[in-house]
Amino acid sequence: MTIADRALTEELAGRKDMIVCRGVKKWFGDFQALRGVDITVKDREVMVVLGPSGSGKSTLIRCINRLEAHQEGSIVVDGVELTNDLRNIEKIRSEVGMVFQQFNLFPHLTVLDNVTLAPIWVRKKPKAEAVAKAMELLERVGIPEQAAKFPGQLSGGQQQRVAIARSLAMEPRVMLFDEPTSALDPEMIKEVLDVMKELARSGMTMIVVTHEMGFAREVADRLVFMESGEIVEVGTPEHFFSNPKEERTKLFLSQIL
Amino acid sequence: MTDTSLSNSSLQPETPLPSPARWVRDNLFSSVGNTLQTVFFSIVIFGLLRWLLGQVFSEESDWESVATNIRLLMTYNYPADQFVRIWVAAGIVFFAVGSSFAAWNINPAVTVRRLVVGFVGFGVFLLLCAVIAPSVAPSSIRNGMYIVGAVLAVGGLAIQRLVPAAHLRFVSFARLLTGASAVIVALIWLLPFGRHSFSDGELTIERGVSVASSTKVPWTVLFVVLLVAFFGGRVLASRFASVMRRALIVWWVIGPAFVLFLVLRDPAFDWGRVWSVDVPIAAAFALGGGALLYVLARPGRGDLARAIGALLTVFAIFNWVAAFAGWYPMLQKVRISFLLIGLITLLVPTFAGERSARIRLAGSWIGLVVIVHWLLTAINTESTLVISAPPFLGGLVLTVTIAYYVMLASFPLGVLLSLARTSKMPIFRVLSTTFIEVVRGVPLITVLFFFSIMLPLFLPRGMGISDLAAVFIGYTLFSAAYMAENLRGGLQSVRRGQYEASDALGLTTVQRTVFIVLPQALRVAIPNLVGQAIATFKETSLIAIVGGFDILRIANSTIPNQPDFLGQKRPALLFIAVVYFVFTYSMSKSAQNLEKKLQAGQAR
Repeated sequence: MTIADRALTEELAGRKDMIVCRGVKKWFGDFQALRGVDITVKDREVMVVLGPSGSGKSTLIRCINRLEAHQEGSIVVDGVELTNDLRNIEKIRSEVGMVFQQFNLFPHLTVLDNVTLAPIWVRKKPKAEAVAKAMELLERVGIPEQAAKFPGQLSGGQQQRVAIARSLAMEPRVMLFDEPTSALDPEMIKEVLDVMKELARSGMTMIVVTHEMGFAREVADRLVFMESGEIVEVGTPEHFFSNPKEERTKLFLSQIL
Repeated sequence: MTDTSLSNSSLQPETPLPSPARWVRDNLFSSVGNTLQTVFFSIVIFGLLRWLLGQVFSEESDWESVATNIRLLMTYNYPADQFVRIWVAAGIVFFAVGSSFAAWNINPAVTVRRLVVGFVGFGVFLLLCAVIAPSVAPSSIRNGMYIVGAVLAVGGLAIQRLVPAAHLRFVSFARLLTGASAVIVALIWLLPFGRHSFSDGELTIERGVSVASSTKVPWTVLFVVLLVAFFGGRVLASRFASVMRRALIVWWVIGPAFVLFLVLRDPAFDWGRVWSVDVPIAAAFALGGGALLYVLARPGRGDLARAIGALLTVFAIFNWVAAFAGWYPMLQKVRISFLLIGLITLLVPTFAGERSARIRLAGSWIGLVVIVHWLLTAINTESTLVISAPPFLGGLVLTVTIAYYVMLASFPLGVLLSLARTSKMPIFRVLSTTFIEVVRGVPLITVLFFFSIMLPLFLPRGMGISDLAAVFIGYTLFSAAYMAENLRGGLQSVRRGQYEASDALGLTTVQRTVFIVLPQALRVAIPNLVGQAIATFKETSLIAIVGGFDILRIANSTIPNQPDFLGQKRPALLFIAVVYFVFTYSMSKSAQNLEKKLQAGQAR
């Protein structure tokens, strides 16, 4: 264990647990996507999940807000365990924001309506307050002038930034990013990553599935490498990029770096 | 807005017209095969047209049978001395149409060129008809077609010449509407249509004059009302557009019932009973329910609201069971009101919120109670108007009314059925699938027979149902099944990511369905839904079979049995074919405009 690792471990140990996964297993029919995942994400931590496609990294974060139901093990988010109880699921979903690879903006609503819909109807905020907050967030992601447009009129990078603003409008405790830049043209990746970096610095708890190594190295507190539904290795960026322990991690990194 | 403005500059400029000769060569005679096809189908089309004109002008076609019976076709045997009611009703509808045009800022981008193409096309068509019309056509009509056709064609071409860049100039809707109204009014006043009257079994026809002023004046007033509503509405809409739209939506839902049951029918209210029974009940439900909703809609009272809603709903359903078993009497409107408040209380947690949201919720409930109680009272009251045949409505009024209300009522029902059919809950899915498949497997006639003849037999003592209501219920259920299937296609087109995004934001299932899934599904389903609306409109002719006097039945069996027009079917049938076409074509045209508008909003 390097000095940086030890320092991080001590620092993280003092914070409270935000997400705790214990022995999470998930099957799609005969195929086992998660084979007993144990991971703890601390408050204000930024965790980047790496792995080849089909390794179960998207499935893992989709289990955390119950877009997929895990079959064995337990997932506890901010002290609430995920079960089939609808009340818990709704509570957790309103605490956990999610950004998708394909943006999934609502095409029939304007940008402003996309951002204010959930605060008004789920958080029961007065409309004026929701609009003010939405404009503030659009300002923060750099596109306040697009508020009246429809998603189809925006570029991919702008759409993804709207999607981030939409999630933030719910004032979540945790943000999940499922390959947020994979569907973007290369020249638009930076504008989205910049927004995410700013978000990480502001102290948001984040789990990010990505192939952007530069982002992982610069922002992540810890990196997780997954393969075949299992966690292979966990550590600081420094540890990963200078001196990974496992053979599989080395192989993966050598392929993508 | 200026009249021929360039305000729709977002539209692509159209390519200039190719010369007519060039167009003909490129499209009709581009190759040997193409030429043969053109010649063959021209012969077929001209032959058909000539045959049709022969039918229209045949000596056996007595068009006076239609001219005399216009009122019969439109309103069946509505008492002549009460006809002012029809005009008032039409005036209300025209007013609503005009205001709606203004409130939704209808402005189809009609270019001068498109108008010119329409004029010239129609002019050439008239000239063609005049040339190929068989010799039975009266020469006055043939000459008239020559003159009008030539004027339209030449006039259209002259406009094209005189207006520079005609394909870029737009004609505003205000001008189109005014122009069309003026032309119609002028035709009514000037066309030598003849005066036909039928009184005391005596038919008198005065030829060569325009129609009687008892027709001319009301129609003129109607078009003036339309224009006043449009231009007045535009002034209002510039400031209160959203309020106006909301009011008009409510109007289009309940307004026709108002026209039907207060203007056309004039109910004989027992005012003593209204004040002592109806009003107190309505007030109790409005205020009590409003207060309940206001209290329960405070955030954090979701569980309590669900529990009370469930209790009320169960109680309401029990009331219906009791009605069928005859355990205790209760007014129908009380049963309905309990059911409504129960169902809405169940929905309260979804729409709960701050004070303004709660006031809106309670206010909507009070509005709903007022409307529902008024409808139930007005519809269930005797009429003072004596009409000399069993059905209260007849003719085109019946056709339009049934079609309109069937479409209106089957829409929410169809939405619910399609949602149930695509839901994850097996009970709903099985019930809905069974209903849809059974109804779709049965002909409409069977459904109508069942509801008009069998249903009254199943009702408990003291509960009656009028023929019209029975037909309406049966037809609505039938139409809803088809509506559900059309919507299912739309629902399936909504991407999975939309569901996931809604879930990830914490929307409830109801919110997800109302705000995200349905709007997108409806947009996709519009062409199919319009197709179905058109079918619904046309198939209203089947109500003739269960005793209604709709426009088809009058043309097919009433008019040919009149002593003056024995056996005269052809003119009336041709006439109602045109009437059906006008309605269905304008439906499909406005749906196309709606589609374009929706697509423009979210163009990629």
